Amino acid sequence: MRFLPLVWSGIWRKPGRTVLIFLQATVAFALFGVLQGLKAGVDNAVAEARADLLLVHGRSGLFSFPLPVSLLTQIQALPGVKFADPVELFGGIYQNPSQKIGIVAVRPDPGWLSTFTFQVAPQYAEALRKTRTGTLIRTHLAKKYGWTIGDRIPLQTNLAQKSGSTDWAFDVVGTYTDSDVGGGNDTILVNYDYVDEARATDTGTVQHINVAVTDPKIADAVAGEIDRQFANSPNETETSSLRDLAQQQVQSIGDLNFLIHAIVGTVFLAVLFATATMLMQSTRERTPELAILKALGFSACTVSLLILAEAIFIFCAAALGGLALATLVFPFAARFVHGISLPGVTVAIGLAFGALAACVSAALPAVHAARLRVATALAAQ
Amino acid sequence: MALLQINLAGLPHRAGSALAIVVGVTCSVGVLVSMLAMGAGSRQQELGNVRADRVVISSVGGRGIAGNITRDELAAVQGLPYIRRSSTGEPIVVPEAIVPQQGRRRGTGVRIFFPLIGVGGEIGADEPELHVTAGRIFRQGLHELAASAPCARQFTGFDVGDHRSIRGTDWTIVGHFEEGKSQVCIVYADVDTLMSAFGRNSYQRISLTLKSPADFAAVRAAIRTDPSLHLEVQSEREATEEDFKPLNGLLNFVSYFLGGIMAIAATFGSVNSLYSIVDSRRRELATLRAIGFRSATVIATTLFESILLALPGAFLGSALAWALFEGMSVSPFGYSFHLVVTPSLAALGVVWALAMGLIGGLLPAVHAGRASVATALRAA
Repeated sequence: MRFLPLVWSGIWRKPGRTVLIFLQATVAFALFGVLQGLKAGVDNAVAEARADLLLVHGRSGLFSFPLPVSLLTQIQALPGVKFADPVELFGGIYQNPSQKIGIVAVRPDPGWLSTFTFQVAPQYAEALRKTRTGTLIRTHLAKKYGWTIGDRIPLQTNLAQKSGSTDWAFDVVGTYTDSDVGGGNDTILVNYDYVDEARATDTGTVQHINVAVTDPKIADAVAGEIDRQFANSPNETETSSLRDLAQQQVQSIGDLNFLIHAIVGTVFLAVLFATATMLMQSTRERTPELAILKALGFSACTVSLLILAEAIFIFCAAALGGLALATLVFPFAARFVHGISLPGVTVAIGLAFGALAACVSAALPAVHAARLRVATALAAQ
Repeated sequence: MALLQINLAGLPHRAGSALAIVVGVTCSVGVLVSMLAMGAGSRQQELGNVRADRVVISSVGGRGIAGNITRDELAAVQGLPYIRRSSTGEPIVVPEAIVPQQGRRRGTGVRIFFPLIGVGGEIGADEPELHVTAGRIFRQGLHELAASAPCARQFTGFDVGDHRSIRGTDWTIVGHFEEGKSQVCIVYADVDTLMSAFGRNSYQRISLTLKSPADFAAVRAAIRTDPSLHLEVQSEREATEEDFKPLNGLLNFVSYFLGGIMAIAATFGSVNSLYSIVDSRRRELATLRAIGFRSATVIATTLFESILLALPGAFLGSALAWALFEGMSVSPFGYSFHLVVTPSLAALGVVWALAMGLIGGLLPAVHAGRASVATALRAA
């Protein structure tokens, strides 16, 4: 404790230099924080993806082949299934081709919400159920296009009606939000039964069936059971949970980790080199002062510990500053990766990293200070 | 000039500080150029096969697998003038039915999706860049598949002679092909066979070749003004750029963001090093001022020195990026491409380094020029 004033005065011997080292290291740690935060966000997305929500697709590929909607009753009857709901997806444009809208057709029967990641107010869910041509819009679409409840929105789509027209119109009856990060933002919910009856082709089919299970632990078993039910039938299914799908997405960005490590490694290499030369120079400049300390009876070990302590202080301060800076960037970065966050363990790793970097960059100067011979150093003066 | 020589002559004595600047700039330029090389590589790959006389037609509101083009619409497109005719006299119009299929990556077994594309008409006439590298192309009416060579390199089950079960039917891989620079896994089959296997009645996309690129506007107008056609017409370049816009935007944003942050760190480092270089030469600089050099000259030479120190970093950084990553295949977003370090990227790296040198040298140079001669000489 009694050495603290010595360390403190050593740090502020050349304030400009210290501040610059601090700033450089801060930037490096901010980068570290942002990249680790991104990774944590991606991991979070997987962990938070619902394991109890199964998606049943036709086996031949994700969106390629529709399943008959009649499978719904068989799936609903399986043990462990809480609710099953049909999902039909098609695309449309509002007014001009750059304003794309994803249309999600569902059956809003009581209990349907358990099979989705949507949040819908009860009165809106009720309104959708009662209005055949009704639609719930994502809250931000209401702002984007100025839609309000009661509006009738015309969409040009890629799905033909029996009349031959590919134009559809839906009545806005409410809004909803979606906690799932995938699937795009500009989406609206409409009634499956209305769409299915009105369309010219593929009547009686769905793109996938969403299934909520009673307990996430039995999700795998239920998924296997569903696929077994339809094995060797013309409608073979492939069932996976939302979490499985999220996991696969993350695996496909496999090089992300390599990229993060390479970049963080490079920036730290540069910082280490710069700091090491700076500290070396400052130790050399302080040779007479260090020699006086030794002459006063400080041991070689204590003197080099003083130098180390200075470096550790600067680096740890920079680590904290940088990580704090990173969290300031998060609200902006959250637009690209949802759930970006800085877990405690990353802060700990950052601090440990800081201490390690301090030791590495101060190693040579500390040795120099320890080896210093009092007589020669003072004589040089 | 003489002053600059004096500046540089002293550098070996301050090797540590000088080296710190070089290393800092090298790292920053290296990261920037490597990251941008990803974007450059993907662009080169995407646009490498683009032809000015090729047109892509999709349905309004539904691109890619969401497309819905009827047989009547196809017939109407085939009947348009402006379309080039093949050696057999047929218009070169290729309807495509696209079905995403699952494959497994070699080694890791990770599940990926690849497009199985049923093509009709004369694919060879529409895509002269297509070369069969092994086996042969599929035959009409048979359950045969031709896979692009990258499929076989990256994923399992694509060797010639392999069988794949699709919709309960056995399909055979009969050949491999390369399409110019493309590194994308695509599998072609006969469009009618594929559509009957999947019970489909509509196409997802039409590709056609014009007699001349100048006819593009006429074709677009002809299709837009026909009320029975719900089709969107794009030149191949437009269609490709639109498909990859999100990916390229992301890559560029990430590159400049990371490169920028590293540059800020490196600039702080070089400011520090330059300050210490100027500091250690305080007496020398004061002497120069005392014998009549103007302070503006001292500032200019110090700035120039800073820029000169940043330059080797730029070359080293670009060279390292080239040596380490040129031609390396990455798939950061599940879509693989080679990194390409182009001369323009290297030039950008040099500009980047010059900016760092200039900004980093500004404060220390002013400091060097401002120092009071008397104080500096007395202090020593």
